[in-house]
Amino acid sequence: MNLLFFMKEGFIGLKRARLSAVISVVSLCLALTLIGIFSLAGLNLKDVVYRFYKEIEIEVFLDPSITDQQVSSLQKKIMDYSQIRSVTFISREQALQEFQEIFGEDIQKVLKENPLPPSFRIILKPSFSTPDGVENVSAEISTLKGVQDVIYQKEIIRFLHKYLTLGITIATIIIFSLLIVITILVINTIRLTIHARRNIIQIMKLVGATNYFIKGPFIFEGIFQGALGGLLSSGMIWATSQAVKQIIFPELVIQNYVYLFIIAGGIFLGLTGSYLSVNKYLHY
Amino acid sequence: MIEFYNVSTPGKNYPILKQITLNINKGEFVYLIGKTGAGKTTLLRMIYMDLLPSQGNVIVDKFSSSNIKRRQIPLLRRKVGVVFQDFKLLPDRNVYDNIAFALQVIGARRREIKSRVLSVLTQVGLNHKRYHMPELLSGGEKQRVAIARALVNEPFILLADEPTGNLDPDASRDIVELLEKINKGGTAVCMATHNYELIRVAPHRIIVLDNGQIRQELSPDNLKKLH
Repeated sequence: MNLLFFMKEGFIGLKRARLSAVISVVSLCLALTLIGIFSLAGLNLKDVVYRFYKEIEIEVFLDPSITDQQVSSLQKKIMDYSQIRSVTFISREQALQEFQEIFGEDIQKVLKENPLPPSFRIILKPSFSTPDGVENVSAEISTLKGVQDVIYQKEIIRFLHKYLTLGITIATIIIFSLLIVITILVINTIRLTIHARRNIIQIMKLVGATNYFIKGPFIFEGIFQGALGGLLSSGMIWATSQAVKQIIFPELVIQNYVYLFIIAGGIFLGLTGSYLSVNKYLHY
Repeated sequence: MIEFYNVSTPGKNYPILKQITLNINKGEFVYLIGKTGAGKTTLLRMIYMDLLPSQGNVIVDKFSSSNIKRRQIPLLRRKVGVVFQDFKLLPDRNVYDNIAFALQVIGARRREIKSRVLSVLTQVGLNHKRYHMPELLSGGEKQRVAIARALVNEPFILLADEPTGNLDPDASRDIVELLEKINKGGTAVCMATHNYELIRVAPHRIIVLDNGQIRQELSPDNLKKLH
């Protein structure tokens, strides 16, 4: 019964104080949209980094005279490293075929023999694909018996890692700064809308309403405003991301939980803002 | 029913009330008079415990300012009706909803709300204007709505802080007549006022406040001393 009364009064409150409700919803919507867009940008950057890390390869050239038995025992030994995701063996014949596919020349005809050694192609787990991680694994593998040489794109990995890490750090700082600023702004806006109705709170107190009864409708009003702001914001984020996907960046990944996070964030901000603001007027 | 024992409360530079001791009995009608700043409003606020004394004790029904808990204050206020000079009506809802509000916030059921609101509206003579918005009412009618809202919880005392301050003489007289009618029904009334003419029209016990102290108490027979 009380809950229904609070919901009804909260809804009526929105209708009664239309202008302040619109101001709160719009500021909530814009604030959440900013957070959502930066979160999506950050998540996509992280996704790009992840995809890049997934493709980092270490090539391990083996002694050309290595036996099949030694190859499988070496492969087993490398697979036992905790940093390694996959190890693929490339035989001398496969290497020659790949060379021909890439360069279009039959090197065996020119040199009268196949100069390419057998090799392993190693892919690390993404969490170990940092420049230091790759270097450590390469150093360890190069000491193994039967390994002739270990190569990887050292400079490119270092360069990309540096700038991607910087990008993610900046996006994270922006998102957290926005979260703090926006929380303060939204709570302040809600506080102003409640300040404008402090007479109602005073009258409620005068006629003997308990704190719980006074807070209820305002909290529900805050929840409605937050949910509405969150829904509108989700719509704006969806439209923006569709446009970005079609015009600029087709690989854009849109995680659906971002929308849930935005709506939940709106409800949380609305609820917290109204709770804190109404509490200010409740001292007897 | 209402007792003040040696009550003082501090102001910014000087005490607002100084060692007040008084009694208001069940069903009594009391005027509280004095200049602006004499402490009339402060005294009324202490009755509905919007303000607690720094010294002394205020007893209202079974509640005492010395040991009342915060959560008990709403229970006290349900037994004390309050009206103000500026009516304090909610401008965004009609007469019926303004009065019903006082019952909704204490969790009354819809059927009970309807019957009690209509009954109290009849009592103040505004049943025919129950769907009017406050802005369409005259000052006297607004004050009647405020009185109806204060009465709807059936309080044992009605506190009126300058209820005729914004009204013309005819409307003021109507309000005092209404308060007398309510008083005859058994509800005590404590009215703060500047309007000595009204007191002459409807004489009752008078408490004269001056600079935070009770200067004198007058019975209805001693009205000549009022100047």
